[in-house]
Amino acid sequence: MRNSLPCYNRVFMFRKVLVANRGEIAIRLIRALREMDIASAAVFSDADRDALHVRMADEALPIGPAASAESYLHVGRILEAARRCGADAIHPGYGFLSENADFAAACEEARVCFIGPPASAIRKLGSKIEARRLAVEAGVPVVPGAGEPLAEAAQARRIAAGLGYPVLLKAAAGGGGKGMRRVDSESDLETSMRDAASEAERSFRSGELYMEKLVEEPRHIEIQILGDGHGNLIHFGERECSLQRRHQKVIEECPSPLMARYPELRYAMGDAALSVARAAGYTNAGTAEFLVDKHLNFYFLEMNTRLQVEHPVTELVTGHDLVHLQVRIASGERLPVSQAEVTWSGSAIECRIYAEDPDTGFLPSPGMIRQLREPSGPGIRLDSGVYQGWNVPLDYDPMLAKLIAWGETREMAAARLRRALAEYVVLGIRSNIPYFRAILADAEFLAGRLHTGFLDNFEQRRSAEIPDAAMARIAALAALRFERDHARRPAAASAPGAGRWASAGRQELLR
Amino acid sequence: MRLNALVDGNEIAVDASAAVELREVEPGVYHLIEGDRSVEVRVVRSADHYLVEVAGRSYSVELFDPRDRRNRPGAAGGHGRRSVAAPMPGRVVRVLVCVGDAVEAGQGLLVVEAMKMQNEMKSPKAGRVISVGAGAGDTVGAGDVLVVVE
Repeated sequence: MRNSLPCYNRVFMFRKVLVANRGEIAIRLIRALREMDIASAAVFSDADRDALHVRMADEALPIGPAASAESYLHVGRILEAARRCGADAIHPGYGFLSENADFAAACEEARVCFIGPPASAIRKLGSKIEARRLAVEAGVPVVPGAGEPLAEAAQARRIAAGLGYPVLLKAAAGGGGKGMRRVDSESDLETSMRDAASEAERSFRSGELYMEKLVEEPRHIEIQILGDGHGNLIHFGERECSLQRRHQKVIEECPSPLMARYPELRYAMGDAALSVARAAGYTNAGTAEFLVDKHLNFYFLEMNTRLQVEHPVTELVTGHDLVHLQVRIASGERLPVSQAEVTWSGSAIECRIYAEDPDTGFLPSPGMIRQLREPSGPGIRLDSGVYQGWNVPLDYDPMLAKLIAWGETREMAAARLRRALAEYVVLGIRSNIPYFRAILADAEFLAGRLHTGFLDNFEQRRSAEIPDAAMARIAALAALRFERDHARRPAAASAPGAGRWASAGRQELLR
Repeated sequence: MRLNALVDGNEIAVDASAAVELREVEPGVYHLIEGDRSVEVRVVRSADHYLVEVAGRSYSVELFDPRDRRNRPGAAGGHGRRSVAAPMPGRVVRVLVCVGDAVEAGQGLLVVEAMKMQNEMKSPKAGRVISVGAGAGDTVGAGDVLVVVE
């Protein structure tokens, strides 16, 4: 990757970094650290003793029981692990403690570098209301709405009437769709407020709500930024994340099919993102999220003060390694790349591979991965956190891996992704791989007509896979062969119940 | 010799001797050249059936004895009793009913959580709870019977 060679200053560079996360992101960080010749220390809960990130790291430290609150979210235990192994920095990855300003501040106090923005910037941007106010002051457009928390129903009715229905209620402390409600008329307003506030209270321990005008059929497009401690702040262009299910991103890509048609939009949104970051005193990696309507108006939503799940699409298209850059900036270096040196080449698309069953309404599917075949080949990057024989624990989110394809054009990237999805096999647990195969064959997707309601519509038109009689016959034969080749002991084999053929009997037939 | 199988719920009869054409290239991975077509097949065993992936699609396969129709998989009778099984492995967060409770169809019975997602199990019929097989905090497997309603 260009400009990402380990030409950093060895004198100030970290010697050991604690990776305060798990799964694929922990592995992605360990890989970057190894490339930079920095020792990596993993942390793990009791449920993750055998996890891949623990196997791959140079050092591994237990941090408590399976429950996140007692391990990956436990500030004291993470800091204690850092102290014990002598790490001079901590990378939080995404999720868990990555956007916790108190944790960032505690790192500063413990004299261990937090690889991310300063605690003050996390704090400023952590509240959506505060972030929104910052954006307005910086002259960046926001979705029309109330710049204040909703105190009572009469005030909410007044604001909603001013904006015009439909409106959107959102949790001030929230994200991921929790505490969010669409309200179509005044008669629904009070009930929705109660529901949203109690959901927000449960999820974020704050029931504070605010209101926005609902932007219909918007695209969700975000801008990657990176700043150093020397006043340099640049953007790395956009990622389109319009394909969402229950407000969780499913597919992300760069460039946005919209920017491909209107390239000036990238620069306008890039400038807007930098204005907000500057106003917050931002350094290190961050992402400004925007909604873009049909008329190409964009509205700032919030700043994610961490490395994003979907950062690889930016890396593949710009050629820069964002984790290398994060580490170098955190160690005090200047950004080794200027805005003019950031260029975009080709197209990249990412699928989030989850342990969930698309045929049962995406129910989670933890358990043992009995067979795994991971795709590779030209233009394919797989950031995976699992291995064959591993028991995917039920204690954490269901992400198994991220599959990313690059191509000279969006069509080429999609073709490679389709090919890689056909190679990808995860058996023993259910995965959403078949769902992605269907999306990648969808004409609307291939035409790039994306918006945040896309997957709801797709769900309606997704047809059941057509059973293939010839393949069904081969499947039955293979099951029979497997039973013969991997027969249980006779006692176990006869256990499943009378009436079935005993394995021994079936083996006779094959002789 | 004919063998009967239930593939995704459809009964089919296959010639079992053809299974020798499959080559096991890795444990649980078979390869077949049929006509000139190259086909890879993967098999894992589940509790009471096989999960087979072939040509990018997975099939659930149950093998059974064609001479004994009564015990055909999936033919179990109801007798007015309906059991509610865990749809996924997980942890029981809350049990909402006790043995002896009268319940409505669609009433919540218990809540199972896995991977940060909660799922409320609902009663399939109106009736009386005759057994509750799990308590709050228990880890359950997919298919475990949690509640029986009569």
